[in-house]
Amino acid sequence: MTSKMSSLEPPGLSPESSEGQGEQPDPPKHSRRTILTAVGAFALLGTATTVLGGSLLNPPSSTEDGDFSGETLEFLIPLASGGGTDTWARFIGTELTNYVPGRPGFAPVNDAGGEGILGTNRFARSAKTDGTEILVGTASTVVPWVLGRSAVKYSFEDLKPVVVNGTGGVIYARAEAGVAGLEDLINRDQPLEFGGISATGLDITTLVAFDLLEADVTSTFGFEGRGPVNLALQRGEIDLDYQTTSAYGSAVAGIVKEGKAVVLMSFGQLNEAGDVVRDPNFPDVPTVAEAYETLHGKKPSGEKYEAYKTLLGLTYTYQKGLWVPQETPESAYELLRQSSEKLGEDKGFQEKAAKVLGGYPLVADPGTADRVRDAYKVSGSVRSYVTGLLASKYNIHVE
Amino acid sequence: MLDSAMAALASLADPSLLIMLLIGTVAGLIMGLIPGLGGTGAVAILLPITFGMEPPQALALLIGALAVVHTSDTVSAVLLGAPGSASASVTMLDGYAMAKKGQAARALTLAFLSSMAGGIIGAVGLTLAIPLARPLVLSFASPELFMLTVLGVALAAVLSRGNIIKGVSAGLLGLILGMVGTSPTTAEERFTFGSLFLGDGLSLVAVALGVFGLAEIASRASQRRGQKQVITLGGGWGQGIREWLTHWTQVIRGALIGIWAGVLPGVGATAGTWMAYGQAVATAKDKRQFGKGDPRGIVGPESANNSVEAGDLIPTLLFGIPGGVPSAMLLGMLLTYGIQPGPSIITEHLDLMYLIVWSFAIASVLGALLCFLSVKQLAKLTKVPFAVLAAGLVAIMLLGSFQEGGQLGDLWIMIVLGAFGWLLKSTGFPRAPFLIGFVLAIPLERYYFLTDSLYEGFDWMARPGVLFFLAILILPMIWAFIKFIRARRHTNVDDGHRDEQPEDDEAPLKNSTWSLVASGIFFVAFAAAFIASFSFSPEARLVPQLVSTGGLIFSGILLFIETRRRLRDRTPKADATLAAEAEGILDTQTTKAGWTLDAKFALKTFLWMTGFLALTAAFGYLIAVTIFIPAFLLIVARARVKTAVVYTLVLYVVLLALPSLLPIDLPQGWLNTIV
Repeated sequence: MTSKMSSLEPPGLSPESSEGQGEQPDPPKHSRRTILTAVGAFALLGTATTVLGGSLLNPPSSTEDGDFSGETLEFLIPLASGGGTDTWARFIGTELTNYVPGRPGFAPVNDAGGEGILGTNRFARSAKTDGTEILVGTASTVVPWVLGRSAVKYSFEDLKPVVVNGTGGVIYARAEAGVAGLEDLINRDQPLEFGGISATGLDITTLVAFDLLEADVTSTFGFEGRGPVNLALQRGEIDLDYQTTSAYGSAVAGIVKEGKAVVLMSFGQLNEAGDVVRDPNFPDVPTVAEAYETLHGKKPSGEKYEAYKTLLGLTYTYQKGLWVPQETPESAYELLRQSSEKLGEDKGFQEKAAKVLGGYPLVADPGTADRVRDAYKVSGSVRSYVTGLLASKYNIHVE
Repeated sequence: MLDSAMAALASLADPSLLIMLLIGTVAGLIMGLIPGLGGTGAVAILLPITFGMEPPQALALLIGALAVVHTSDTVSAVLLGAPGSASASVTMLDGYAMAKKGQAARALTLAFLSSMAGGIIGAVGLTLAIPLARPLVLSFASPELFMLTVLGVALAAVLSRGNIIKGVSAGLLGLILGMVGTSPTTAEERFTFGSLFLGDGLSLVAVALGVFGLAEIASRASQRRGQKQVITLGGGWGQGIREWLTHWTQVIRGALIGIWAGVLPGVGATAGTWMAYGQAVATAKDKRQFGKGDPRGIVGPESANNSVEAGDLIPTLLFGIPGGVPSAMLLGMLLTYGIQPGPSIITEHLDLMYLIVWSFAIASVLGALLCFLSVKQLAKLTKVPFAVLAAGLVAIMLLGSFQEGGQLGDLWIMIVLGAFGWLLKSTGFPRAPFLIGFVLAIPLERYYFLTDSLYEGFDWMARPGVLFFLAILILPMIWAFIKFIRARRHTNVDDGHRDEQPEDDEAPLKNSTWSLVASGIFFVAFAAAFIASFSFSPEARLVPQLVSTGGLIFSGILLFIETRRRLRDRTPKADATLAAEAEGILDTQTTKAGWTLDAKFALKTFLWMTGFLALTAAFGYLIAVTIFIPAFLLIVARARVKTAVVYTLVLYVVLLALPSLLPIDLPQGWLNTIV
């Protein structure tokens, strides 16, 4: 009841009248002078701290002095925590900071939304250019850039790769859907159902592969992630799925062993010459290119195959990378690159990484930036084929 | 199996493990106390510390924190009406009501004991679920998940406390708000008006803290004095435990619902906790006390929000599919140790699995015990004038919710939704359905489309799981309808509004111009959503249009009722006044006057908050705090000068120290970019 009464008192009433109402009086008003003095003094304190002590709160970076001591490497991960890219970034970040001179701190920041576009946009707009803010690039952000979506406000041409790392993956099918091998992909009575997240994400490479192979496939998009797609396949809701190498162990290996699923092909890897070769992690699994030969009796060629190779490079072989703004001072950039190179060559790290990341090497040699730039060049015909495929087959008009 | 379990328990006797567990527990409790940080904040802050540790130590630390975050997040929800996390807003309904009656200690005792039990049951569930998890997860296909979200939204009706039209309207508006951002099926942006920031969708923490926390602050910041006496538990702890024991079925039911909600990917802690509350209300014979301090409204949800975390670990460890952000981070940590989640984790790392189970159970007990021992001290907090607390709460809550996305925009949204939440609260709209709608909007749409495209026609309706959920949904409706018909036949009461009147002493502005305005806002919002959705692709358009059509119908009815009442009120002011008098709450004269003054004060408080945020945007958080806190304390709270000075200095030092101690960022202003 007491609380009820007090809330009824008008805030502006003078102390006398409020004393008359309640059992316990409201404290008296302070004089204007007291308020102004107190607030003014504190405002001054705050301003002084911010202006003078700005260096104390956010010390200015000194990344060009040969070490990163006292700095924090902030990794902007444009996706939600817990996914493959997030794990990769946290793992690399933790290890890398031990190799960077001065041992900077490590702060992974997940800025999820819009399939990674929003976080990357923000990075492109406002990232510090002193080498302490690093963007984690991944297929989810590369694909919309390739497609030229209007929401994309960043360009990988404005960024410099510090280190890149590939991944691979396999396409597998549910055995009960009547799939025993590659041949069951074509000439079917009933098409196989592929479960996807979004046709304009990493799924695009798989969709182009299906188109190249002329596989009998229909697709449903809207799953939350690859984990849920894998569960949906186990439940029999969908027939076809792909998983990347790092998820293969937990998601696919078990059900293949039980005979519930069949591995059909791997995406393969691009070699230096730009050809599709077998994935070192799946040496016994035919690549998409080999699958084409098996199904159609000739080597793949033409615009579909060119598109597949481009996408393979962008979304698998050079899929993940750490990027800094182009304006980052050369000395800071070199420090990060060389540290990454050392990390990649360390035997101890390679062993650990083999277990966690599926053993694709970390690439940070001096020529990396140029090679990545080449891989990130997308020809007009590839772009128009991909957007055409999305429009004609999936009714998605890229804007 | 038993051997491993015992071996894991024995390994916890290792002092280094125990110390880590203790540190984790204490850290988790502290993070839970701070509104806005919650489990995500706890794990994010502790994670960097674990790098370099051995896996068992790291696990003990993180699990310790994770297990107790939902124990202590109750404290601010119960005492201050500002939920420590989104799921604590559930406990707030009855816990806060109880505290306002001076029974804060009782509410906290019930809550802590339930948290402990929920944690232990969760840990047991985790153990038992190891062999059962796979069939359980696999039996929940898209149609079942869709029905589950429908059931969750239908809870809106249960939780609307007598006013179903208002409840459903609020739930539908929550759904619309949840759809702001990227559509799950077509990846196009909806209701974002071209804003990149809105493309992210609204942050759950900002919405929950705004609608519940800031709204509460606004309606109580006029209190310059504390509660005079705090009613302590008459019989001490013994009686608290005895009372709690009488609700043991609720504890177990809550815990089971929590585990289940945690196991299913895509349901989440907040929705799971609401479901526990919903079932407690739905199955209670006497529902009148819910929302006014019913112990059952505390016990079930508190038990559930702890067991959710345990349940969440099941898909995380066994499938590598985390149900929430904290467990996703835990997953990342495991991967960096080379521990591959998946079915094989049981054979390869059984010892670690049991270590997790034991750590969870021990931390739950430890955390609840620590909280339990401090109940008396905590309850004294209600003696502090609310206005004095409000100043710091605003600063901490805004800082807490800034941590999630690092966006100043989240804070603006929080304040706008705070004002909206206050309007809802004061005009008798239940806020629970609003939050449930918000949480479930995307899952509902996702699983609807997946169900629709993966199954032929209505085949999915015949699945046993779906039939089960349909029965849960429809049977109570039929029952209620039969009761309604019977009641109609026996007593031919004409006026349906009469019985809803005495329900809400919480909603002083009900049936005033304010509630007419609120109904108007609803109607306009639905109409705007309906029109805006025409620019989406057909797939992305379907659900928003269905929801906004429903919303237009319900808010249209509301608008009609409100307008009619306005017109009727012009003539003798019979209805409202008589009811208030009959209730004997207040005498008629002060009521009317008090209402408008309260509204004025709330609006003033929101202006203060807006000013604070404007200062932040201009000069950064530090300066904003050093101006806002003393000004608010001296002008609004009329605290003593000494209090104001010490208060501000403490906050100032904390803000200075925080960023270097923990990965916490202060919002930066325009001035910071210049300096």
